[in-house]
Amino acid sequence: MRRMSPIRRIAETARSHEEGVWQVAGRVAVLLPLAALVFAVSVLAVKAYPAIRVNGWGFLTGTKWTYGGGYALPVHTDGVAHPQGSSFGALTIITGTLQSSAIALIIAVPVSIGAAFALTERLPTWLSRPLGFAIEVLAGIPSVVIGLWGLLTLGPILSRDVYPIIGNHMPDVPVLDFFRGTPAATGQGLFTAGLVLGLMIIPIIASTTRDLFNQVPPLPKEGASALGMTEWEVANKITIPWVRSGIIGASVLGLGRALGETVAVALVSGSAIHFAPNIFGQMTTIAATILTQLDGAQTDGTGFAVATLAELALVLAVISVLVNLAAGVIIRRTSALVPSVGPT
Amino acid sequence: MTDERGPDSINASRVQPERLEPLDPVLQALDPDRGRPEDVVCSQRLTLSFGPKTILSDVDISFRRGTITALIGPTGSGKSTFLRTINRMNDKVVGFRRAGDVTFDEQSIWSTHHDVLTLRRRIGMLFQRPNPFPMSIRDNVVAGVKAHRIAKGKQLDVVAEQRLREVGLWDAVKDRLGDSPFRLSGGQQQLLCLARALAVGPEVLLLDEPTSALDPVSTEYIEALLATLVPALTLIIVTHNLAQARRVSHQTMFFYEGALIEHGDTEELFTHPKQADTERYVSGRMG
Ligand SMILES: Nc1ncnc2c1ncn2[C@@H]1O[C@H](COP(=O)(O)OP(=O)(O)O)[C@@H](O)[C@H]1O
Ligand SMILES: [Mg+2]
Repeated sequence: MRRMSPIRRIAETARSHEEGVWQVAGRVAVLLPLAALVFAVSVLAVKAYPAIRVNGWGFLTGTKWTYGGGYALPVHTDGVAHPQGSSFGALTIITGTLQSSAIALIIAVPVSIGAAFALTERLPTWLSRPLGFAIEVLAGIPSVVIGLWGLLTLGPILSRDVYPIIGNHMPDVPVLDFFRGTPAATGQGLFTAGLVLGLMIIPIIASTTRDLFNQVPPLPKEGASALGMTEWEVANKITIPWVRSGIIGASVLGLGRALGETVAVALVSGSAIHFAPNIFGQMTTIAATILTQLDGAQTDGTGFAVATLAELALVLAVISVLVNLAAGVIIRRTSALVPSVGPT
Repeated sequence: MTDERGPDSINASRVQPERLEPLDPVLQALDPDRGRPEDVVCSQRLTLSFGPKTILSDVDISFRRGTITALIGPTGSGKSTFLRTINRMNDKVVGFRRAGDVTFDEQSIWSTHHDVLTLRRRIGMLFQRPNPFPMSIRDNVVAGVKAHRIAKGKQLDVVAEQRLREVGLWDAVKDRLGDSPFRLSGGQQQLLCLARALAVGPEVLLLDEPTSALDPVSTEYIEALLATLVPALTLIIVTHNLAQARRVSHQTMFFYEGALIEHGDTEELFTHPKQADTERYVSGRMG
């Protein structure tokens, strides 16, 4: 090692200390969200443990959801007290969650990509600026507002003017029976829930996608048009693939929001714990069920109903984690052909 | 026009003259451009502006079929603007205005005789920096072929191999056709882009400083390659490298301060420039 003056050495040590502090801070910052997740899931798991033991796998495969009880005395199963006659199978709720979020994604992703494309490539700046800003504002509207609007305004209109048209125009093929049915007058049901969720996640996906599109270097796009590709082909072959992993990431973010959205779904889904008989039928989701049932569950003296709702929350957390893991895999696959760093 | 290619011809470039209508097979083989106008692209009193700023005024020039023309001049003299006008890449640029005309095969490129997508298939372009598409190496080569529905299915593999061989890239990439093009070297990427441009069978190729981002070895290689493309194709190449202009081109056009100052035979223009500005530029005294 080179000889240094003592002062210099102190200064160097201080600097390396400083670096060490930053490194530690960085690591903590990285680990913090993970720690929070682990903590939250652990607390939930502890809370849900009695329900997990009693409900068993039937919780994921069963479709009967009843609190039982009444004035009968609690009974014990495996040493866990629960109301007599209670039975919790959440398959219908889990299914409703996945269905409504899937509808939301199917609606939101194409609309968002189209909006982002219009904002970045089509509209003049004087129009795209305020519109882009409007989209960002939309992302900030509280979900209870959107839910109420969905219940009072959107739902009835859809139920009266739109759903009958969709139902009547579906080709008469048995597999499409799911798209036929009589909607509730309020419009409450699966499709309305999916649509409202879609509207709520469009701003997230669209504004991210717009920023991504702006980052696509112009040269490959120019190369494609110089080759005689249409604007559509340029978007489809160059612009979108260039940022595909980012779009998937944004969509997963939106999906996460849709899966966990609570108030809005509670208002427009009909909060019915059964399988939606058709795409307009009433249903519910995990988050909405927790919201609407927690009050009642707390009246259960055994605490079992609350534990069951905690178990439901745990299932939602697991679904979210699985979705994110799957997205990670897909992103790794799709980004293989795109330059890893910097523009070209 | 004798050259009406069907959309099914894979080898649409005129590298293979027998694909042209055989009016008189012998003469045709000797001179594939028989009966075609000698000038492929002409500009007539062409004036180009962006907003209020006029970039070039009154350019009258013809590009001879089957030759290489170099466009030289200081940065900002409007070479790229001129070049990009020829395949209508400027049409949608905000503020772009033009007066005068450019003809291709004796018809205005803005007339209904030319559809812009077909025009760009027939007048290809290679850019200053390699611009591979975000798809596999093989898909890059055939991207235009697919878009113009020139070939499909298994034929695409044939096209890809043929074009990669044509630019001398085949051996380097044949084992990784499915890989990302972005891991290739800069020179290889530019060759890939050249293969992609050639794959759709253009008649004219516009090159905007195609080697300015490349190392000397790649530059030399591409220059040699360009020489093999004539007389099948007509090349118009913008270059800041005067030595390159002198090496590769038959004619040279010198742009300066918004005008085409001088044009003519490359050797003549470099050795006996008629204008004082040209003299200063080609002797390296203009910077
Ligand atoms: N899209 C554009 N909008 C406005 N001005 C432009 C645009 N493109 C080029 N210019 C201007 O046109 C002039 C000529 O540019 P260019 O054709 O790129 O020159 P060269 O290729 O000879 O260096 C420059 O002054 C440049 O600033
Ligand atoms: Mg230029």
